[in-house]
Amino acid sequence: MDWASLLQSLANGILIAGLYAAVTLGLTLVLGVMGIVNFAHGELIMLGAYSSFWLFALLGIDPLLSLAMSGVILFFIGMGIYQFTIRRIMKDPPLNQLLLTLGISIFFQNLAMILWKTDSRTIMTAYSGMSLDLGIIHFGLTRLITFLISVVLTVLLVIFLSKTKPGRAMRAVSENNTASWLIGINVERTYLLAFGVAAALAGAAGALVSTVMYTFPMVGFKLSLKAFCILVIGGLGNIPGTLFGSLILGITESFVGTYVPEGSGWAEGISFILLIVILIIKPTGLAGTRRE
Amino acid sequence: MIFFYPKLVDSYFLHLTIATFLAMILASSWDILARTGQVSVGQAGLFGIGAYTSALLYQWIHLHPILGILAGAIVAVIAAVGIGYLTLRLRGIYFSITTIAFAEALAVIWLMIPDITGGAMGVSTPPLFGGNRELAYYLVLAILVLVIFVVWLIEKSRLNFAFTAIRENEDVANVMGINPTRYKVLAFMISAFFTGLAGGFYSHYNTYIIPYEVFSLNVSIACLVMPIFGGLYTILGPIIGTILIKAIEEYLRVTFSYGHQIAYGLILVVVVLFMPDGLIGLWKKRILPLFSKKEIGEG
Repeated sequence: MDWASLLQSLANGILIAGLYAAVTLGLTLVLGVMGIVNFAHGELIMLGAYSSFWLFALLGIDPLLSLAMSGVILFFIGMGIYQFTIRRIMKDPPLNQLLLTLGISIFFQNLAMILWKTDSRTIMTAYSGMSLDLGIIHFGLTRLITFLISVVLTVLLVIFLSKTKPGRAMRAVSENNTASWLIGINVERTYLLAFGVAAALAGAAGALVSTVMYTFPMVGFKLSLKAFCILVIGGLGNIPGTLFGSLILGITESFVGTYVPEGSGWAEGISFILLIVILIIKPTGLAGTRRE
Repeated sequence: MIFFYPKLVDSYFLHLTIATFLAMILASSWDILARTGQVSVGQAGLFGIGAYTSALLYQWIHLHPILGILAGAIVAVIAAVGIGYLTLRLRGIYFSITTIAFAEALAVIWLMIPDITGGAMGVSTPPLFGGNRELAYYLVLAILVLVIFVVWLIEKSRLNFAFTAIRENEDVANVMGINPTRYKVLAFMISAFFTGLAGGFYSHYNTYIIPYEVFSLNVSIACLVMPIFGGLYTILGPIIGTILIKAIEEYLRVTFSYGHQIAYGLILVVVVLFMPDGLIGLWKKRILPLFSKKEIGEG
């Protein structure tokens, strides 16, 4: 076996895993804190990607700078979605929560098709084609930067959840919302903030997506399938599991892309196959958690 | 009247009717599974399996379309058993996630093995019954009557209690001696059978199928929006929901070239937030009381 190509595809897998983690973190946060699997998460990412694309196309703002703007825009969109829709069904059976977020997802997918057609759009920056050579392996500069930003986003989220007051409130609510309410945490406001933060993460992840992939109305849907797979691998709703799941998916896709004939075409199907394998061997997720 | 219908309308309207009946079959079969509290977001997978099995069997061995449609339904049931046994013992969300990934994965697999599946170019079959729309109408009507009959049987039998108990509270159902997984898999099998039949019928009636269409998210979403709009867990709900959705869709298709399914999203959101029992529920709760009050007032 050729060690250089093995190392190279491992490195590529880890880089893409960073992006997948950024894509999934918001989904994990909402599931962990609110107990909802947000089927519209992918569409929030899609909106983030489009806002980054338009900021670049119209105002010439570099996507890596507009990342924060996409995050802020989506933070408010997310809070709006929570206030007008999800807030009303927090106590409903899970079936209603699933259908509502699915409805929101379909709405935004089609809104994007109406507003921006189905064209695939790309962002070409001055550094798009550049790469970094490290002896036997080399990295695309854009991919490396998106990976580093994903790491920063993850670290920021962890710090937010462990060091700040609203972050700790979220952790308390995720453990037990009745007890949290009893000790004086405003549970509704915590949900609102959690959904907003998750949407902001989706916005930032969307900006990253716009630099390394095509931006089109269904991009969020495609990514949310990967995110669901990561969620199941990691055991629903915890951050270490999400990071672990992202690594598994990213590296598997990369190896299949390198070693299987026409492998890159199969990449899309890998998340499903991984999902089935996990469900057969350990449905509680490889990282194992308290949730069934 | 329903029997002489083809003699009364023109060919285009007959085509619309056939498409609507086909959608009713999909809506009713989604509702059968929903009675156990499970949300399938991947009916397109079963629909596509039915469509492709039937079309490919015709292409390979010239199997008669009627037998092909049946074969497609059986293969769809087999797929449902596989997915069902893996996911239906877990919380509902695993099932929903797996079904949505299943349909998407099939589309990928279909594109990657074009030698067997025809790839992106799809598969063509000769027109059903030599293009005789009247006969096609009677076939789709027969399937529709069958699915409604099965739903009626379920409602009248003990299955209804098992399904409802599982939907309301799985743990309690388990204590009552109902094996939730077994009944959920059974419901999914029935649902898959009719969805597969619908797929097979579609492939021959349409004479042409491509993976992007039969495995698409649009199909899966249509399957669930129609019964939810009409009213879940009823015989009439999916029927009424389908008629209205088809009418809205025909109108919007003319207005928007892209994204006319935005209506599906809006309807889902509105129904979940404001009319949880769909149109049937709205009728029972809001409209009927108006009339009964009036009668009391007048009398």
